[in-house]
Amino acid sequence: MPLDILLILVVVGIASIAVMLHLSGRSKRAYLTPDSVRVAWVRHFPDDQVTGVIAAKDGHAALVSTAAGMGLIWSFGADTVARHLSQVELDDTARGLCFKFHDFTAPSVRVALAPEERQLWRNTIQAT
Amino acid sequence: MTDTLSFPDPTQLAVPFFVAAILAEFIWIAVKGKGGRYETRDAVTSLIMGAGSVASGLLLGFIAYGFFMVLWTITPLDLGTSVGVFILCFVLDDLRYYWVHRFGHRIRWVWASHVNHHSSQHYNLTTALRQTWTGTFTFMMIVRAPLILLGFHPAIVLFCGGLNLIYQFWIHTEAIGKMPRWFEAIMNTPSHHRVHHGRNPRYLDCNYAGVFIIWDKMFGTFVPEQDSEKVDYGLVHNLGSFNPLRVAFHEWIGIFQDVIQPGLTLRQRLNYAFGPPGYSHDGSRDTSETIKAKHLKRKPQDRGSPGFTQ
Repeated sequence: MPLDILLILVVVGIASIAVMLHLSGRSKRAYLTPDSVRVAWVRHFPDDQVTGVIAAKDGHAALVSTAAGMGLIWSFGADTVARHLSQVELDDTARGLCFKFHDFTAPSVRVALAPEERQLWRNTIQAT
Repeated sequence: MTDTLSFPDPTQLAVPFFVAAILAEFIWIAVKGKGGRYETRDAVTSLIMGAGSVASGLLLGFIAYGFFMVLWTITPLDLGTSVGVFILCFVLDDLRYYWVHRFGHRIRWVWASHVNHHSSQHYNLTTALRQTWTGTFTFMMIVRAPLILLGFHPAIVLFCGGLNLIYQFWIHTEAIGKMPRWFEAIMNTPSHHRVHHGRNPRYLDCNYAGVFIIWDKMFGTFVPEQDSEKVDYGLVHNLGSFNPLRVAFHEWIGIFQDVIQPGLTLRQRLNYAFGPPGYSHDGSRDTSETIKAKHLKRKPQDRGSPGFTQ
């Protein structure tokens, strides 16, 4: 197949599938509740015992306390990703907090938090 | 000797079919309200990985092809181009695929290339196209050497390999439950391959087949899909980025970071590169064996059931 035809097919194909998925509502992020966070966390870390959950009000992230330490779980498209907070830097952003992991597979996460939430999250993380 | 034999790349010719089949699967799921899930960024990442894989083949394919042509000039054997030779080549190349795929899950150097195919938490036809950009660097083309030396022309071997990949496209779906029993017994199917993509301890490191599931049954790596345990797709440690560059290269970066750690012996450095995924010199990480062992500690009643028989 000529390369220019292949290129057109690939670009048009990817773009049309992306538009179709977005317009049909497939870009919605997972909504997390304290109960769903517990289930999701154990899915990622089966050996952990969840002792506490602080879910962000927007439902797209949660702080998780476990016997192994503190962790963050966040919406990743329709699914979730979780990391322990053993090596993390916290930065304030205009809308909440930015978690910077020393992890090539999950470099940073921006969590939207109201001002009072942000303070609670910071205090909770620093207390551990 | 047939030196000038050439065939079109079947995977490139199949691109329109891939796009049409993805649209059809999505519409099926949307209409029926079951049979799988689609997510925009996940799907786009998979499709970009597929396009990048084709580009990588165009840029680096000459390395493997050059290697095969060198072997072709060495071998005194030439099996010709009969239909029977094509069929035999297809079957033997599928056996080759089984072992390369098994190495891809058991040797971190090869896993670094293959991991991106397992990095989606979804399982639909776009997942099939989430292919490697770095396969050349695994040097797994060596596993094809016996086929060339036996007298299969490199063009026939590569053509059969392309057909093999096209076959595997349709099995990346949840829209198909089980195929007829005779088909499930011989061929790789959506059910068998769903298991292969599972991150559940039960489903780790099994069902490596490309086209014929008989290889897994022969070599003791077959695990049937269990009605009692839904497949959980993705990696043991799922990626937190849709960036195709991170998807393509993260495990290579991980190997590099591990190998250059100070204070390791040469054996430990080699194990980080060529040991099983999850190896660590201090036992701080889990391999599939330790993941299964920990699961059995939590659920001893699963011992002896499929996926926990060894």
